[in-house]
Amino acid sequence: MSDLPSWLTDARLSEEIEPLLRNEDDDSLERLAAEAQAVTLRRFGRIISLYAPLYLSNFCSSGCVYCGFASDRTSPRRKLDASEIEKELLAMKALGISDVLLLTGERTNAVGFDYLCRAVEVAARHMPRVAVEAFPMSIAEYRGLAECGCTAITIYQETYDPENYGKLHRWGPKQDFLERLETPERALAGGIRSVGIGALLGLSEPVGEALALMRHARHLCHTWWKAGVSVSFPRIRPQEGEYRPQFTVSDRFLARMIFAFRIGMPDIDLVLSTRENPEFRDGMAGLGITRMSIASRTTVGGYVESDTASARQFEVSDNRSAKEFCLALRSKGLDPVFKNWDSAYNEPVTCKEATCH
Amino acid sequence: MNSLRLGSYSFSSRLILGTGKFSSTRVMLEAVRASGTQLVTVALRRFNRNQAEDDLFGPLSEIRGITLMPNTSGAATAREAIKAAHISRELSGSPFIKVEIHPNPHHLMPDPIETYEACKVLAAEGFIVMPYIPADPVLAKRLEDVGCSSVMPLGSAIGSGQGLANAEMVRLIVRESTVPVIVDAGLRSPSEACAAMEMGCEAVLVNSAIAVARYPVAMAGAFAKAVEAGFEARNAGIMPRSGSAVATSPLTSFLGAAS
Repeated sequence: MSDLPSWLTDARLSEEIEPLLRNEDDDSLERLAAEAQAVTLRRFGRIISLYAPLYLSNFCSSGCVYCGFASDRTSPRRKLDASEIEKELLAMKALGISDVLLLTGERTNAVGFDYLCRAVEVAARHMPRVAVEAFPMSIAEYRGLAECGCTAITIYQETYDPENYGKLHRWGPKQDFLERLETPERALAGGIRSVGIGALLGLSEPVGEALALMRHARHLCHTWWKAGVSVSFPRIRPQEGEYRPQFTVSDRFLARMIFAFRIGMPDIDLVLSTRENPEFRDGMAGLGITRMSIASRTTVGGYVESDTASARQFEVSDNRSAKEFCLALRSKGLDPVFKNWDSAYNEPVTCKEATCH
Repeated sequence: MNSLRLGSYSFSSRLILGTGKFSSTRVMLEAVRASGTQLVTVALRRFNRNQAEDDLFGPLSEIRGITLMPNTSGAATAREAIKAAHISRELSGSPFIKVEIHPNPHHLMPDPIETYEACKVLAAEGFIVMPYIPADPVLAKRLEDVGCSSVMPLGSAIGSGQGLANAEMVRLIVRESTVPVIVDAGLRSPSEACAAMEMGCEAVLVNSAIAVARYPVAMAGAFAKAVEAGFEARNAGIMPRSGSAVATSPLTSFLGAAS
């Protein structure tokens, strides 16, 4: 492998955070929670922005050991056509959703760039904000995606441990650690406004992962001053393939990690999905977390056809309806906000404006 | 003299409210009522045409005596702000536009170059243009020159609660300006709003300090009183602060008395 970029190994970029992560006592956890809540309140107020995932396809060319969509899984493969995508979007709109994350597996002949562009175009006709979590693309492809109406890209590094990364990704294009690491920057160079990053927690040693993730987020903010950067905290969940994670990430550690991110990066969105259970999600809302998924279906066609439409990418832990989740947020004095963006702001950020590299 | 004039509109209240960050639309509406404000700003981002519960525009437009001032929060360029202004006018019917252009979505500091470009176009199109700007006296004059109806310098960074950290620059803007100067962003407490009014600002815009207070409705009322007190104090003539000591034996007696 080529040399790792200097920002990934520069301990100075996260040295103030490491002690916060390594403490284990109750007092320090409570202090962090209070500070995280205060920072969140000041910067984001009492609102939680909501989004929902839409799985377009479960075709995949990669061999990630931890994923229900890996190419050696036996579940039937499926992709939605344009009219099915539209029906899913209408079903989501009926739930109030205005912010959608379109997902696919790694690039295949069945599901490639052109398919994704058509899907984004359909979605942008119905939703003010369209994000994509798919396969890494070239700068030119990201430019094309932005021109179709894509506002944001989510791309998880999965693990920042290069050696472990090699073992977990058994075949396919995703085997290239550095190529994936550079993907958010290619998206920004292509005019995508925001990037979401994360590590799949449980794959590698958690403190090291948290520090590398923060270095990545800070590197993106420093290098791409117009870029929106958000960080997600997915913990590995049971999935077809039955991979068991090597590392346990406890609720207490995950909470500590989220507090540390909020304190260390006060202005960025921190995201928590329905991978987490209702108690944890309700507890963390407003304590650092500012953006949450709602009423998620992790199956292809799941909003129209029911949750048995295809195999799940992973099991959802929070199965509450949109209405139930909103009620829970309101009972905590938080305002669930479905629309916090407008399509008026979906023009690609030009390379010049974004500081071209 | 006692009304705030913006374009052809006049307002007896000098407190402008932002409508984001509240725990619910209901609390926001109660705070708006308690503040006595007549002008509120609402982001195009929060116009939800699907009549959803999170829509801010519909409920606000039903309050009598309130003028809506849409804002372009989310725009990164002049082009986007202009587009957002056109959509906002179509949806709200309001001639007001608060131009907010913050290319960095994290600290939300306004871009002076894009703001100037957008304001030039929107003022020429007949909008009542209210730009959110850094506390820069030169930019303020440039915006006045292109037809802005007011200038809205930051007291301090938005959502920071750092009060009038830019006080010196705001004073300079007030001294030079021929349009109303409205402090926008950074105010934490009513006393800071009062200080801005005493300083010569024509109004203040407050959002976070009310929205995240423990009792937002009560805080809205407190800000209303402070703004009024600051304005009345200014008009009553605030005692000058003594800048230096006065010598007990006059230093200039050797010059003789004036004839």
